[in-house]
Amino acid sequence: MERDTVTKGQLDRARRDVQLFFLLCAFVSLCLCDGFSEASAEPPQRIVSLAPSITEIIYATGIEERLVGVTTFCDYPDAAQDKPKIGGMSNPSLEAVLSLKPDIVLMTTDGNPKEFQAKLHSLGMKSYVVEALTLPELPEGIRKMGRVLGEVQKFELLAADIEMRITRLRNNRGMSRKRVLFIIWPEPLIVAGADTAVDDAIEILGSTNIASEAQGRYPKYSLEEIYRQSPDVIFFGKGKGMSEVSQGLLSRIAAVPAVKEGQVYYVSDKLFRLGPRAIEGVEELAGYLNR
Amino acid sequence: MNLKITVICGSALLIFVFALFAGPVPINPFSAGELEREILMSIRLPRVVVSLLMGLGLGASGAVLQGILRNPLADPYILGISSGAALSAALGIIVGMSFWGVLTVPVLAFIGALVTGVFVGAMGWKRGGFWPERLLLAGVGLGFLFSAMLMLLMSISSDEGMRRAALWIFGDLALADWSIIPYGAAFITAGFALALSRGKALNALILGDELAYSLGFAPRKERFILFIAVGLMTAASVSLGGMIGFIGLLIPHIGRFIIGADSRVLVPMSAVGGGALLCIADLVGKSVLSPVELPAGIITAVIGAPYFLYLLRRKDVLSI
Repeated sequence: MERDTVTKGQLDRARRDVQLFFLLCAFVSLCLCDGFSEASAEPPQRIVSLAPSITEIIYATGIEERLVGVTTFCDYPDAAQDKPKIGGMSNPSLEAVLSLKPDIVLMTTDGNPKEFQAKLHSLGMKSYVVEALTLPELPEGIRKMGRVLGEVQKFELLAADIEMRITRLRNNRGMSRKRVLFIIWPEPLIVAGADTAVDDAIEILGSTNIASEAQGRYPKYSLEEIYRQSPDVIFFGKGKGMSEVSQGLLSRIAAVPAVKEGQVYYVSDKLFRLGPRAIEGVEELAGYLNR
Repeated sequence: MNLKITVICGSALLIFVFALFAGPVPINPFSAGELEREILMSIRLPRVVVSLLMGLGLGASGAVLQGILRNPLADPYILGISSGAALSAALGIIVGMSFWGVLTVPVLAFIGALVTGVFVGAMGWKRGGFWPERLLLAGVGLGFLFSAMLMLLMSISSDEGMRRAALWIFGDLALADWSIIPYGAAFITAGFALALSRGKALNALILGDELAYSLGFAPRKERFILFIAVGLMTAASVSLGGMIGFIGLLIPHIGRFIIGADSRVLVPMSAVGGGALLCIADLVGKSVLSPVELPAGIITAVIGAPYFLYLLRRKDVLSI
């Protein structure tokens, strides 16, 4: 019985606690709103990038002095490696981001966890998700990013350059439609499927990616299927020791047209990142496909 | 009994042949063109042979281990051997080592497995012999350590390296290649022959050390020989194609339900059953989402576990 009876004093104290709590909430949210309006009034000065592609865009537009934090995977250009690190793409450290006091955190839908954005918001941080999932979408994504960062002109220059180069590549397509396979890693056999910059590049160049039918963006592909689809050209994305690692696979698919006729090429990893260098990756493929 | 053995071996043989010609695109052996023959010889045949070898090694190892450790929960992975293999292979995959070409990852896995096996053996050795409980605990402890190190490695590696390592760890039979088969076959047959030759001793060990003594076997010596056999088979099968779960643990139990607990029959039948199950699992794994391939290790459990549970429900005893 004794436990259930509540004295008037206790009740009052509880009521006061609740009131205090709401007051505090109101105060905090006021402060946050203040922060927001201030940030949107002038362009954000302290930028944290959660993706290597975003870091590259920032360097390409020349506003890198405003970049205060990058991921451990941001390795291009070399100078980016000297920026403070906030962890990986899939596991960025909230503490590290907070300690850099960024005005804005730039994220991507391709590799950053969604919950991280929610966490940032709950702490009153401003974030922006760069929406470019395909190569043709990249220029528009760069323009939007420029607007958010208050650097419309610099970003417009970069976007227009990429657009112009895509158009030029489309216009200078080779005569024949080639069947292409782009291998990311030979063992286990992982290839570039649909919705990747590689797939876009092959489409822009007027050829066909034989793996675009497979499920997933980077599917684990079947060896038999390579035989059956018999690609005309095989690309290997460059990685450490790729030419040695690929020998085993090549010996097993020796009867495929691309291997028989020596149409196997080792290209750079520029297409693995949907950033400013991706267009150079397309031009590289064009050099082989338009022969 | 003989009928059951004939049926098991016969259906296993049928499964091997079926796995060779069925698939995402079936091949008619009587009207195969050049392309089909090429697919058959350089992709499907090595793959079926590797699944046969791996299943054989894992099934037999499981049956032997459950006997020498006198524990129905023992499987080839409980001794930490596979975790050692996985750690060393993942290290090679993530760092991108390639010094032995195609054989790099299998060789790394084999070395990792052997080193772990020797270490677990040393930990389980006391007063001139193996102690089942010590072996088990050493294996479990080491397994935890290696898994933690593997997780550490994967959490600091790039996403791409992590996915490659994960695919290998779940069992990737697509790596099957003629160049690796002779080595795998040599170690697995050696271990298998060793285990078969000690069939009577294994039967005695299951009864307990005192009874084994009175039956004329030296339990410590026999346990040591059988441990070597298991180590060879497990190390070779893990290095052939990663970690395939279920087979080593549950195939011997299924075998006991069907043909009884005599090790002289159970060990070879577990081997045949393991090989057949892995063949079917790989066939399913490469067919359902074709041209994307699913790891066979997932499919073995998905196919095998319900059947095991069904048997468990129907029979009353579960012992070794």
